[in-house]
Amino acid sequence: MNIKKIMHVENLTHFYGNQIGCKGINFDLYKGEILGIVGESGSGKSTLLKCLSGEISPSAGKINISLDQGGVKDFLSLPEQEKRQLMRSMWGIVHQNPRDGLNLRISAGGNIAERLLNVSEKNYSFLRNTGKYWMEKTEMDPDRIDEFPLSFSGGMQQRLQISKILSSNPQIVFMDEPTGGLDVSVQAKILDTIKSIVRDINVTMIIVTHDLAVVRFLTDKLLVMKDGIVVETGLTDRVLDDPQHSYTQLLTSSILQV
Amino acid sequence: MKTGFNFAYLDEATKRMIRRKILKAVCIPGYQCPFGGREMPLAYGWGTGGIQVTASIIGKQDILKVIDQGADDTTNAVSIKNFFKRVCNIMTTDRTAEASLIQTRHRIPETTLNKDQIIVYQVPQPEPLRKLEPKEKETRKLHAYKEYALMHVKLYEEISQFGSVIKTWAYPVETNNRYITDPTPIPKFDNPKMNNMEALQLFGAGREKRIYAIPPYTKVKSLDFDDHPFEIQTWDECCSICGSTKSYLDEIIINNEGKKNFICSDTDFCKSNLEKNK
Repeated sequence: MNIKKIMHVENLTHFYGNQIGCKGINFDLYKGEILGIVGESGSGKSTLLKCLSGEISPSAGKINISLDQGGVKDFLSLPEQEKRQLMRSMWGIVHQNPRDGLNLRISAGGNIAERLLNVSEKNYSFLRNTGKYWMEKTEMDPDRIDEFPLSFSGGMQQRLQISKILSSNPQIVFMDEPTGGLDVSVQAKILDTIKSIVRDINVTMIIVTHDLAVVRFLTDKLLVMKDGIVVETGLTDRVLDDPQHSYTQLLTSSILQV
Repeated sequence: MKTGFNFAYLDEATKRMIRRKILKAVCIPGYQCPFGGREMPLAYGWGTGGIQVTASIIGKQDILKVIDQGADDTTNAVSIKNFFKRVCNIMTTDRTAEASLIQTRHRIPETTLNKDQIIVYQVPQPEPLRKLEPKEKETRKLHAYKEYALMHVKLYEEISQFGSVIKTWAYPVETNNRYITDPTPIPKFDNPKMNNMEALQLFGAGREKRIYAIPPYTKVKSLDFDDHPFEIQTWDECCSICGSTKSYLDEIIINNEGKKNFICSDTDFCKSNLEKNK
């Protein structure tokens, strides 16, 4: 079977002044794959995600991306316009805090519609139906389509953010601690939702988290980071069941056994 | 003409700078060109942008018409007309067809403009995206990259809340398939007149220091959805003075009992219509 490689990262390095953000990161991402990036606070996970999603431009390294149309491209040398266009339609970021990803002054339906309008969809009933479809798919009540995000609970806001991103049928979704700040039962429900959807629509994802349960539940492959470098990488089950590096061993053994 | 003024009040260097900006604006239809706005003997919000554009292009042969909400005899219109009479010593008129230069606030005359005329709009807020995105740096990027989803989201919101787009004035348009442009606070009734207009349309915003333009015969499209097309206002009544059913009507309360009357907002159109019908 020939699985398409959609992202190739080589020696990705970012410094904040003299401080290492992340250093010498290499990995390949294949279509339909879910990649987890774990590590403690300050290990460079978020820096890496920001580099990958174009939020900051790294000090050194290479990111090659392969788009559905247009072949392989050097992501870092893309003009700003194309990067923005990518983030607005073909890619998407699910922020830890849904308020960063949602426009609070417009309704739930409007938030979802904005993504589709970015790809020049100009049919009102289509926008409406797609909004309802995605709200239903993320287990929200589609009758609440005209309500504003602030009238939703934290978990619902996160679901809304996920529907918004997925509605444009993106190629890669970046998730930054998608369940951070939510209580455990809501976390579990959202993870369930994400899992069922990704298998459905075969989306490629990069998830940054410090929660090993999230990683175990969702991801195929894992990068373990410490102090800005990747200390261990491999299939998720392999890394978690048979950790090789001392830090990974520490990480897996520090899960609370209740 | 009173001495102590240059012709048309502004000095020649300023006029030249504004003319260059107008040329640039005409070359990029709908694009907002920053310009070095001068202080005028008029408060911001009363047409300082329009006055500067008019002053830069007016010539001794020009016949000027100034309207405010369609009327020639309102304060703003009268004082701007007097201002130019004083500093240019030119002819003014109330007749749309006779004017070579028309400065306007809030309306486009009902009489179709021709290729020998120029219409200058007074612009309170040149940036159609301002209320949706407060940062100038960001709105400039949105225009440059043609990222106009926000504007449609606003229309989406109005349809989902009220069943139709409720914006009835300053209804955003797309100029020449490119820039989203604020047509100034004209009623959306006037939007179709902007499309393919024979006259040159110039827009001056004094406080915001921006000039933009729509050249003659340029496509101007009011934004809408495929299944919610753009519509203009209609009235069940006709003008109670001239009986017109085709013009934009103002609703006026005429007595203490709240009795209403509808009359043409374009006073010149109303008069000529009345004469014609006599």
